[in-house]
Amino acid sequence: MRKFTVYAVLTVCAGWIFGLFALGIITPDGEVSVPERRKLAQMPEINADSLLSGEFMSGFETYSADQFPFRESFRRIKALGQYRLFMQSDSNGIYLHDGYAAKLDFPLDEGSVDHAAERMRFIYESFLEGKASAVYLSVIPDKNYFMRDGGAPTLDYDEMVRQLTEKADFAEYIDIFPYLELSDYYRTDTHWRIEKIGEAAKALAEGMGVSLSGQWEAKPLDVRFYGVLCGQSALPLGAEEMYIISSPEIDGARVYNAETGEYQGVYDLGRAGGADPYEVYLGGARSLMSIENPAAKTDKELIIFRDSFGSSLAPHLIEAYRKITLVDTRYLAAPMLGRFLDADGADVLMIYSTMILNSSETMT
Amino acid sequence: MVFSSIPFLFWFFPITLALYFAVPRFMKNGVLFVASLGFYAWGEPKFSVFMLASIAQGYVFGLLIEKFREKIRLRRLFTALSCGFSIGLLVYCKYADFFITNFDRLTGLSVKTLGVVLPIGISFYTFQMLSYTVDVSRGRVSAQKNPIDLGAYIAMFPQLIAGPIVRYSDIAEQLKSRSHSAEKAAAGASRFVIGLAKKILIANRLGELVSVYKASSGSSVAFVWLYAVAYALHIYYDFSGYSDMAIGLGKILGFDFPENFNYPFISKSGTEFWRRWHMTLGSWFRDYVYIPMGGNRVSKPRWYLNIFTVWLLTGFWHGADWTFIVWGLFFAVLLLSEKSFYLERLEKGRFWPHVYLILCVLVSFVIFDAKSLGQGFRTIGDMLGLGGLPIMSSETLYYLKSYAVTLAVAAVGSTPAVKNGVMKLFSAKHGEAVRAVAEPVTLLALLALCTGYLVDGSFNPFLYFRF
Repeated sequence: MRKFTVYAVLTVCAGWIFGLFALGIITPDGEVSVPERRKLAQMPEINADSLLSGEFMSGFETYSADQFPFRESFRRIKALGQYRLFMQSDSNGIYLHDGYAAKLDFPLDEGSVDHAAERMRFIYESFLEGKASAVYLSVIPDKNYFMRDGGAPTLDYDEMVRQLTEKADFAEYIDIFPYLELSDYYRTDTHWRIEKIGEAAKALAEGMGVSLSGQWEAKPLDVRFYGVLCGQSALPLGAEEMYIISSPEIDGARVYNAETGEYQGVYDLGRAGGADPYEVYLGGARSLMSIENPAAKTDKELIIFRDSFGSSLAPHLIEAYRKITLVDTRYLAAPMLGRFLDADGADVLMIYSTMILNSSETMT
Repeated sequence: MVFSSIPFLFWFFPITLALYFAVPRFMKNGVLFVASLGFYAWGEPKFSVFMLASIAQGYVFGLLIEKFREKIRLRRLFTALSCGFSIGLLVYCKYADFFITNFDRLTGLSVKTLGVVLPIGISFYTFQMLSYTVDVSRGRVSAQKNPIDLGAYIAMFPQLIAGPIVRYSDIAEQLKSRSHSAEKAAAGASRFVIGLAKKILIANRLGELVSVYKASSGSSVAFVWLYAVAYALHIYYDFSGYSDMAIGLGKILGFDFPENFNYPFISKSGTEFWRRWHMTLGSWFRDYVYIPMGGNRVSKPRWYLNIFTVWLLTGFWHGADWTFIVWGLFFAVLLLSEKSFYLERLEKGRFWPHVYLILCVLVSFVIFDAKSLGQGFRTIGDMLGLGGLPIMSSETLYYLKSYAVTLAVAAVGSTPAVKNGVMKLFSAKHGEAVRAVAEPVTLLALLALCTGYLVDGSFNPFLYFRF
């Protein structure tokens, strides 16, 4: 090695190691990672106990990765290296196809589908049997279903639906797969777009014996939406537009949040600027809430057992019901439902995304 | 602590390096010893006691062996005591539960297992300590009078937990005096970054593919082969990457550690493979077990026994499980067959010997990686199409496509082609000028990519820690 090469190599290597070490010391620690929607680890407490137990060391390893200088830039370098250099089809389990990002979710976990069906049956037998006027079941396909021609392995959706409908035979199945397509989903998020699911909502309503006029107006929100897959993949995916839908019934409805005991609107627009703008719809993840529609032309009531997809579905259904109760049994233990729920004469819809059904351990 | 981690690269290493070069020469081994203890205690605070005990007994017995060199009985006694301590510690930590479990199986009794957690690197530092004691006893080296220097040798963080197995005789002189130069440090830094890239950019990716296979339910014959290839390359890049980093760090600190790998996958026979794979372990068993047993200068039955003993121990060294024992014995049978019947033909061949070797290695590593012998044989059956699996599946195709570049890079990189090409380029006209730009730029790009993977990822275990 000639002298120049020697010193160039030493400068690069030492500069990298010592430079990032120095930056790690002088850069103030961050509190949250917005793209990943999580809190960042802080410096662990150092004492004899934490040192001897190794707690400090494991805490420091997380802390040093979380608080690394230019962390997001380095995550992006990794993601680009993975996709462009190694031409790997996914990074952190997220792959791109036709400009859409999706998270790999396979194979079908039959045990999980069984568990979901068993929890649904528990709810039916404990609280709905002999009370509810009708019980319906529907499944929301994830984006992978519409990206199958990209070559990524996917769930066996037919088998999932077959298994679920067989085990939850107390409910009438409403198929919404034919009313959805890839463009009905966000490019950078797992969820569907509220302004694109009118047809699926109509199919559901029809299946439940009510009809929707579909007379609503899509209004853009003043937000640049980076979905959850942006942060997880660390790829430079572009921002998306977000909408709410508006109609006299939706605008006049009020939502009772059983967790806080307070009323709110169908949309919590304050959350548009938060870490997860999808929480605009009904204020995000809630265990129990009800939408009251004073302009309703019928006395019909609907209880929806749902996941987060239900937050953007419910506004579509408002016009057909006087009251819609939304229950998320991931946050409210199913055995406690009797204290909060009166299903007398109500229609019941159990609707879950394939993502939740395939990892249903959180369903109580 | 592992080399390919943020705490090591961007905290421990710069602090240690700054201290090491800041202190005068006579204090360097002291800094190295203390830093190495910190490095070890980071992952295993409680097990530092075992290592310190091992160093202490080695120091004391080393001095006693030297003092009583002329009194053969005493010398042998102290050598036996020191080796007994080292092996006893290793057996207690690594093999006790294996023996108890098998004793229970054999007798139907239910003796409780000890549940000892394996201290990382114990197999490596035990072998280093054994080589020190035996070499002092044989008079090949003098006993180390300075406990700090002996401690620095055993605990030296670059090679402490995953080798190469550096014998005391290799670096006894360097412990006393060694040269530090910018050229040596640059060569070390370069080697370290290449090892880091091998570990993070290739081994870890292939490790992910192996994990995907293991978690997969839609397996196919092609996926089993993909797994077998990925695992063999994974373990090679993981271990040789670690060795590169160790050798590179050693150079930065002024040491010259022995090479541990020499492109083993280009071998034509199992015999050649083991001259190129984990060379320091192979030579350790040769010099401290095989040759003292008589090597090949004995009767044929005795030679067979020697070979089987060495490979039984080699397998057992890797882990306290029947899979490792069978893996070692697989190579015993292979090497004996080669030496007895067809080694010459293999050496003369061009293409088929490579295919033969790769197939043997793939099968051996399937056994090596198996949770049980039954699982290992089932996987081999799946490879042969006996498991009722479909030939191909959509999942297999997806992962084959997804990891094609990584596998191709790994396959090419496991031959000397890249190194030879680069050397040719650098030795050509204007080669030095090209090197002056290409080498630092490549290292910078590798460092940036590796850092990106470290910051983003959590898949980072070193395979050889468990040995």
